[in-house]
Amino acid sequence: MRQSPKERIAKDAIKAWQLNATLMALIPLIVTIALFVLANIFSFSYWYAIGLLVITIVESIVTIFFIPKIRWNRWRYQIYDQEIYIQHGIIIVTRTLVPMIRVQHVDTKQGPILKRYGLSSLTISTAATTHEIPALLEEEASALRDQISELARVEQDDV
Amino acid sequence: MSEPKRLHPAAIIFRAINTIRQSIFGLLPIILIASNDGFFKYVILGVIVLTIVFIVLNVIGWMKFTYQLDEDQLRIEQGIFIRKKRTISKHRIQSIDLSQNIIHRIFGLTKVQIETAGSDQDVDAALSAVTFTEGQWLHDQLKAKRPTTTNSEEKLVEDDTKSEGDYPSRTISFRKLFIAGTTSGSFGIILALLAFLSSQVETLIPDKFYQETTTWLISQAIETIVLLSILFFIGVWLVGILGTMIKYGNFTITRYEEELYITRGLLEKKQTTIPLKRIQAVGITQSIIRQPLGLATIFVEIAGGETDKQEGTNTILFPLLSKNKIHDFLDEIIPEYSDLPENYTALPKRALPYYLLRSTWIPILASIAVGIFFIDWIWIPLIILALSILLGILTHRTTGFKLTESMLTLQMRQLSKETIMLKQKRIQAFEKKQHILHREQGLATLKGSILNNFFGRNYILAELEEEDVDRIGDWYSYNNEFKKPTK
Repeated sequence: MRQSPKERIAKDAIKAWQLNATLMALIPLIVTIALFVLANIFSFSYWYAIGLLVITIVESIVTIFFIPKIRWNRWRYQIYDQEIYIQHGIIIVTRTLVPMIRVQHVDTKQGPILKRYGLSSLTISTAATTHEIPALLEEEASALRDQISELARVEQDDV
Repeated sequence: MSEPKRLHPAAIIFRAINTIRQSIFGLLPIILIASNDGFFKYVILGVIVLTIVFIVLNVIGWMKFTYQLDEDQLRIEQGIFIRKKRTISKHRIQSIDLSQNIIHRIFGLTKVQIETAGSDQDVDAALSAVTFTEGQWLHDQLKAKRPTTTNSEEKLVEDDTKSEGDYPSRTISFRKLFIAGTTSGSFGIILALLAFLSSQVETLIPDKFYQETTTWLISQAIETIVLLSILFFIGVWLVGILGTMIKYGNFTITRYEEELYITRGLLEKKQTTIPLKRIQAVGITQSIIRQPLGLATIFVEIAGGETDKQEGTNTILFPLLSKNKIHDFLDEIIPEYSDLPENYTALPKRALPYYLLRSTWIPILASIAVGIFFIDWIWIPLIILALSILLGILTHRTTGFKLTESMLTLQMRQLSKETIMLKQKRIQAFEKKQHILHREQGLATLKGSILNNFFGRNYILAELEEEDVDRIGDWYSYNNEFKKPTK
């Protein structure tokens, strides 16, 4: 566990996460606009709304332009014959080992945003935990899914 | 044999109790509302009609419930309008537990609970009342192959001459049981229960009586009140001891080839069978009160198991024993986990600030808040703060691990000190976590997940030497690229 895994996830993951973050940023923006309107109607100070606007802008810039890149940069995985090795996390870096014989099942998932970029995410479940590789190219994900379930099919000793 | 059998008629009682328990909350409000409206005789009539229907349904339900034993399977048929047939194959049965409560004992009956592997509760079956001999017989038939005196599965190679006495077994002594009661934390639980009950009962007690009592109490001298509360606490304590006695009385654990077998309970006799295959980890707990006395509780984490258990509970292997006897106990009852380490690799000094911060941040905030608003009371949060600093230091001292070829033993503390023994093939996944500061300092946090009941359970050791976490990771890994060349 000294060296990090080598495989990166799909480059388009950044775009998908940015789109996601942009949609998320709409919510505080709507609240800010509502606050401006309310301030106009009930004639209280505009400073609240201005403050919220600043916060919204900063938060949007951070979540849209910085976090996805850092996140993508950090995300690594590697599939060995007998285990899966994952690294992720922005502030707290987590490295996870999941042995193949512990894998109970593997799923691929795809929401509308991931579909747009032809990506899908891979979820690996053991009896006690679940782990996700969040954005892989579709064919890569299904190939991996099949590979893992093939590898996981080796003689399962009891849980 | 293969003709279908019915349960003992006493099963009707159990059915009735169950149905009443389920329906009482639905019916009570209706009855209460109706009886206030002068519909009283209709209510009585309704209750009578309902009762009759209820009794008839119960009896029919009992008549329609049959079980039969075939070659190597148990077949259960039940249901009045919707017939349910269930067949359980002998090979899928993990454990068969017989238990008796008071009603069972009066009639000489037993409840038979059959558990299969996997987490599908629908596959499990329970026969709520059969005669004790029938229960024993069923147990033997389904377990197959050997008389009840030894409840173990026979292996083909095993000689058949072993008797009860050949299997290691431990029983808790009365003295230890008493100590277990006195040091159990059931105190607080009972107090909370009493508080809840009294708040409920308050509405039923006539106001006059209530007022008289309170005025009498208030008019008493302070000594009397102190004395009364001391008596009250002793009473609660005794109830706690009694509770422990009833629950763990006659606690006996026996080790057979493939399983551990536990019987316990004074009033309600409970049997539990734990197949060794399902044991995920063995642990030792020492609560704050018991640690100075050198006493400990041994528990196991089981995959699957009793479905009525909640998340995060574990099964007790022995309620209380002296710390220096643990090794013998493990050696005899569960030798697979007998190499309990004597010493542990401790945490580095530079991890201490993290532990202090974790244990004190709430009291610090509380002290600041109290200091601003009620400066006179500042001593209360300060005392708590001092205690939490102590706890932080203690936790840092306690936390540690020991890695051997076959086992990773972790030691940690929340309030109780807990030691847990994990085998490599029982750990479901392993994580190493670091944030920026950790990386600077060469520290890392490890997290091992195991399966408990039907949920995951994580054991986290924070701020170990990064070196050590890597070493444990290598030990856990199946991948030879990680393994260092052995010296």
